[in-house]
Amino acid sequence: MTTAISVSGLVKTFGATRALDGLDLEVATGEVHGFLGPNGSGKSTTIRVLLGLLRPDGGRSELLGGDPWRDAVALHRRLAYVPGDVTLWPSISGGEAIDLIGALRGGLDPRRRAELLERFDLDPRKKARTYSKGNRQKVALVAALASDAELLVLDEPTSGLDPLMEAVFQECIREVRAEGRTVLLSSHILAEAEALCDRVSIIRLGRTVQSGTLAELRHLTRMSMVVETERPADGVGALPGVHDLRHDDGRVSFDVDTDALDGVLRHLAGLGVRGLTSTPPTLEELFLRHYGDELAEDGVPVAQEAGRP
Amino acid sequence: MSSGSGTLTGTGRLFRFALRRDRLRLPVWIAVGTFMVVTQSVSSQALYDTAADLAAYRASVGSNAATIALAGPPVGLDTVAGAVAFEISATVMLIAALMAMFTVTRHTRADEEAGRTELLRSARVGRHAPLLAAVLLAALACVVLALTIGVATTASGLPAPGSFVLGASVAACGLVFTGVTAVAVQATGHTRGVYGLVGGLFAVAFVLRAIGDIEGNWVVWTSPVGWAQATHPFSDDAVAPLLLCLVVAAGLVVAGFALLDRRDLGSGLVQPRPGRPTARRGLLSPLGLAVRLHRGALIAWTAGLALLGVVYGALAESVETLIGENEQALAMFGNPDVDQLVDAYLGTTFAITALLASAYAVSAVLRARAEESGDRAEVLLATGTSRAAWLGSHVAVALAGSALAITASGLTTGLVRVAQTGEAAALGRMVGAAVSYVPAIWVVAGVAVALFGLLPRLATTVAWTAVGLFLLITMFAESFDWPGWVGDLSPINWIPTLPLEEWTLAPLVGLAAVAVALLAAGFGGFRRRDIALG
Repeated sequence: MTTAISVSGLVKTFGATRALDGLDLEVATGEVHGFLGPNGSGKSTTIRVLLGLLRPDGGRSELLGGDPWRDAVALHRRLAYVPGDVTLWPSISGGEAIDLIGALRGGLDPRRRAELLERFDLDPRKKARTYSKGNRQKVALVAALASDAELLVLDEPTSGLDPLMEAVFQECIREVRAEGRTVLLSSHILAEAEALCDRVSIIRLGRTVQSGTLAELRHLTRMSMVVETERPADGVGALPGVHDLRHDDGRVSFDVDTDALDGVLRHLAGLGVRGLTSTPPTLEELFLRHYGDELAEDGVPVAQEAGRP
Repeated sequence: MSSGSGTLTGTGRLFRFALRRDRLRLPVWIAVGTFMVVTQSVSSQALYDTAADLAAYRASVGSNAATIALAGPPVGLDTVAGAVAFEISATVMLIAALMAMFTVTRHTRADEEAGRTELLRSARVGRHAPLLAAVLLAALACVVLALTIGVATTASGLPAPGSFVLGASVAACGLVFTGVTAVAVQATGHTRGVYGLVGGLFAVAFVLRAIGDIEGNWVVWTSPVGWAQATHPFSDDAVAPLLLCLVVAAGLVVAGFALLDRRDLGSGLVQPRPGRPTARRGLLSPLGLAVRLHRGALIAWTAGLALLGVVYGALAESVETLIGENEQALAMFGNPDVDQLVDAYLGTTFAITALLASAYAVSAVLRARAEESGDRAEVLLATGTSRAAWLGSHVAVALAGSALAITASGLTTGLVRVAQTGEAAALGRMVGAAVSYVPAIWVVAGVAVALFGLLPRLATTVAWTAVGLFLLITMFAESFDWPGWVGDLSPINWIPTLPLEEWTLAPLVGLAAVAVALLAAGFGGFRRRDIALG
């Protein structure tokens, strides 16, 4: 296994703020790697260091076998980047922006470009000033996906896309992986990472807290469920893996460990299910559950941290 | 006004809110307009203090088409007051029109573009309320401008009735363009489009009245500026043309309301022209993009400086006739050769033009900073574009563009001089004088580049402060007898005042060295620093 990205002990400070505090990240060639963390945890800063836009204050980083700062221009020809908040030039059309970004990277496949415009349902004739956030993001995505870059660096690329377009995006990423290319995908949505990523790294406060395959991290995920049954669902609280059971108005709500899901559903089926909603945990909830105690010990105000947008 | 569910619900509230938002902005516009009239009044009264001076002035401008084209109808020039109205009314009318345009646009299309109108309209605010509030605010500003001009001009020593007629004429022009803007903000979906449309219409109106005034015919009545000037302050004091302005202004505002009902919130009546689905080859490089981004501003600056060149060239003849035939004035300047006097005048105008070209160069360099802090640099610098190539593209446009703009002004001044004197050699002399300032302009641009590379956060503020200081030093160091080293702080002052003085190589070499050092510092600093986030 060769490494596309290798970062260890990365430090970056902005004035008094320590944005990256000894961050580690290993991305193998050919994998889709999820880069997860709540907003403000240092994902974008790490990516900008990897792109040579920011100069690190400490640590070691290697990208495609080169130094991100020193070899920036040469490395950029081999990667494609989609920023988290895509800003374009108001008077330049989406099609022109795609061609420009593509040409500066070393060329686009025109057939792929046309196909992607179709799939993302993007009108390339519109001036950027008339695009919504989602459409600006599509411009950057089409430019990145229509290139033959060996590494795609995507910073929360779906934050402005509707569910339909998110499905198209996931399809495209699977194709990219099938071609053997590498993807670094930052996100604060766990479900997106679950759908796409071979491995994930979870960071918070500029430090890597967990890294591995999703199966290894499975214990982190816990589903929230609200169930309405014909017969009282009294026994549910006693089942293994069920936490925080609450009764209200004929419904029960509880959290359940993902690996205990099967047993709980079997039990519920016998009670006559009238309605059921289940919500995957958000990353913030997950952090709160697993690191809340640790954070409280460090004196970090936990509730405020988790409630931040 | 705020009762019921009418389309004007909430106008009063919005008007007070708009007034509060503009509580500094509008007084500045009004003060500038009033100040210009008063300054003109004071200086004209000092300049033409005898009947003979006034007669010479009348003879000179009464037959000078260029002056009439820029000022207005040559009426009432037998009094100093009439001369004041002739000289300043067009400029102040432009200021009133701009004030009206910016005020109406700011509270309508700009708010709509930013999504603020949507928020307001979801509350108890009628469909027509934002437009009416904006129009009322602009109208109020025009009326206040009329009154301050009337009071201040009377106080400066001119007859009261004419002073107030002059103020009312200026306001009438402002009101017509309030109406024009009320229509324009319905037509186009974005703020810059409104400015282009209204600015273009003012230019057309100005040219039509210039043709009418030169020819002395009916064409002047096709232009709202012509109507506003037809009051002839201090001579006829006619009020009827003001009524025409008021009727047209009101008609335009009503049309604005009608058009507002025919469009959706956030869009204009004219759908934006779609762009190209694919890029032309010329766009596909950092320089190609920079040229595209700078194109509009560069064309505007070049056209502006070229026009200024025409004005300065045209006034050169007035300098000849005015001062050349005025023994007292000649004595005041130490009895120089008249040709020398004209050359000295032209030299000063080129120094001013060079300052303006420097301002353009700085604005073009700072565009790089705006691209960076607007996050538009990031996406390019993550491609195979090096930092040097990216910054270089903007700097190249700044350097070449500023050189082009000042050359254009030398060219137009030269052509006007050739037409005036019949000497073809004047063209080369004027272009040469203009071009000689290019190294000094590039040093000012270099200051901005160095700041961008080394102190990005402060670059915009410090660079403009530097431009302001260079302007002060160049304009006033000599007249206020400041020490020589103060004068030397402005690179513009390093250049000999061509065409009066001789051209020398030494300052050119010195300035080139400084410019290269500044550029190297800027590019070096940029290569080593972080790219700004957001």
